Amino acid sequence: MTADDAIAYASIAELGQRFRRKEISPVEVTSALLARIERLEPKLHCFVTLTKERALSEARAAETIFARGETASPLLGIPVAYKDIYDTRGILTTAGSALFADRVPDADATCVTRLQGAGMVMMGKVITHEFAMGIQFPGHRYPAATNPWNLEHMPGGSSSGSGAGLAAGLFAGATGSDTGGSIRGPAAFCGIVGIKPTYGRVSRAGVITLSWSLDHTGPMTRTVEDCALMLQVMAGYDAADPACSQRPVDDYVTPLRQGIRGLRVGVPRAYFFDGIEPEVGTAFEASLRELEKLGVTVRDVEIPSIHTAWASMAILLTEAFAYHERDLRERAQFYGDVLRERFQAGGLITAGEYVQAQRLRARLRAEVDDVLKSVDVLATPTMPATATAFTKVFDPSFGFPRSNTAPFNFTGLPALAVPCGFSSAGLPISLQLAGRAFEEATVLRAGYAYEQATEWHTRRPPV
Amino acid sequence: MLTIDQVRARMKAAGIEIAENRLEMVRILLSNALGPVHALDSRTVRTVEPAVTFEAE
Repeated sequence: MTADDAIAYASIAELGQRFRRKEISPVEVTSALLARIERLEPKLHCFVTLTKERALSEARAAETIFARGETASPLLGIPVAYKDIYDTRGILTTAGSALFADRVPDADATCVTRLQGAGMVMMGKVITHEFAMGIQFPGHRYPAATNPWNLEHMPGGSSSGSGAGLAAGLFAGATGSDTGGSIRGPAAFCGIVGIKPTYGRVSRAGVITLSWSLDHTGPMTRTVEDCALMLQVMAGYDAADPACSQRPVDDYVTPLRQGIRGLRVGVPRAYFFDGIEPEVGTAFEASLRELEKLGVTVRDVEIPSIHTAWASMAILLTEAFAYHERDLRERAQFYGDVLRERFQAGGLITAGEYVQAQRLRARLRAEVDDVLKSVDVLATPTMPATATAFTKVFDPSFGFPRSNTAPFNFTGLPALAVPCGFSSAGLPISLQLAGRAFEEATVLRAGYAYEQATEWHTRRPPV
Repeated sequence: MLTIDQVRARMKAAGIEIAENRLEMVRILLSNALGPVHALDSRTVRTVEPAVTFEAE
């Protein structure tokens, strides 16, 4: 590993320690990453807006605080990138869409306010699939990000720039949003970590809507501990988000090292393994054996109506259409190919069908809650396959594959993606761990124990 | 599964025009999304509330 790589791939926890020991400074790290971004961006297409001067200014401010020896936030001086659907005051926020190409918000999203308040250094805004739903086809105003593990493959979406940039070592933390898997999918495809918290745990205020009742916000990082550190700051009540819970925020960081002996892990075999790639299945089964070595009991569980999770798409499409209807009718040409038709499809769903989909959701939620009385965590492959090749994605007939992540948007339960292997083609494979509502601490503790027992998170892509 | 004609009928009712070369994609998308909905006998589902309560107790 080169000196450049050592800085680029340092975790948030490690950088914080080195800052406090004055072994390296935030300005040195920020400068090194800006140089790395300049070198790699032409082939990765992660950034929509690079906030170079602001980053250096914030790094200098952090350096001053460290120099004074003051007690600092664990995020002070840490480089972060914001998915380009998080509003940033005075900075372009496009949602990856030509429709919003000139949109400059006059206020920060709540999550941005909190992370910047904790001292993070804003490197810039990173590309999202258009409106968190549609990958940019060739010729789009904003080119799609590529996967650092193989530039011919997509990094997953919709938090594509967040996932690709973390895997390439362009920043230490990022924000994502997750309506059907948009944090966990890119985390899986890029070999990094991401958590979709419980619905209502993290504010969505100032984050451009895809689907009100399914949208979640959360952190993406390279390690589970880093995810806990960012979530600790992002979580908590926000009056500006009507869905936000007033429940106090747990300590996510301290319990990480308590181990997982005695934890009960359930594996829902139906649905989550339909059409799975054999190498993904093999890696997943190996991860279960690893968890057992850590003192966990593993058993199969049944969720009777799990196949109704497909209906989450009916809710997503209907709500997305409600948000976009006026522009779809008046300025449809500004939407990307295929995305436009997906959103229009939402207008073809009847009110009765939408209500029935919400009823299916309530039933599935009750069933999963019931299963989680007998186990503490559910384990599944995060994605049934490794990162998809662009040649396949850019075929307009390419549909939405069955999703292992959407059931936890449908149910609102917390779910973590953590690396658990690689395919023979060198593409990452990921383990999904989901838990009871507001039990992010348990999910993170399980993910941390697994991560520390394996080496998958230490591998780096050939960029 | 929806048919293309059913998709066209929904487009007419909603006043939405969709490019002809995307109709099959839309048909598959809606068929998958609505499959579980159409399979539901609404009067046999015990849970009647079309909403989810997310607050933990």
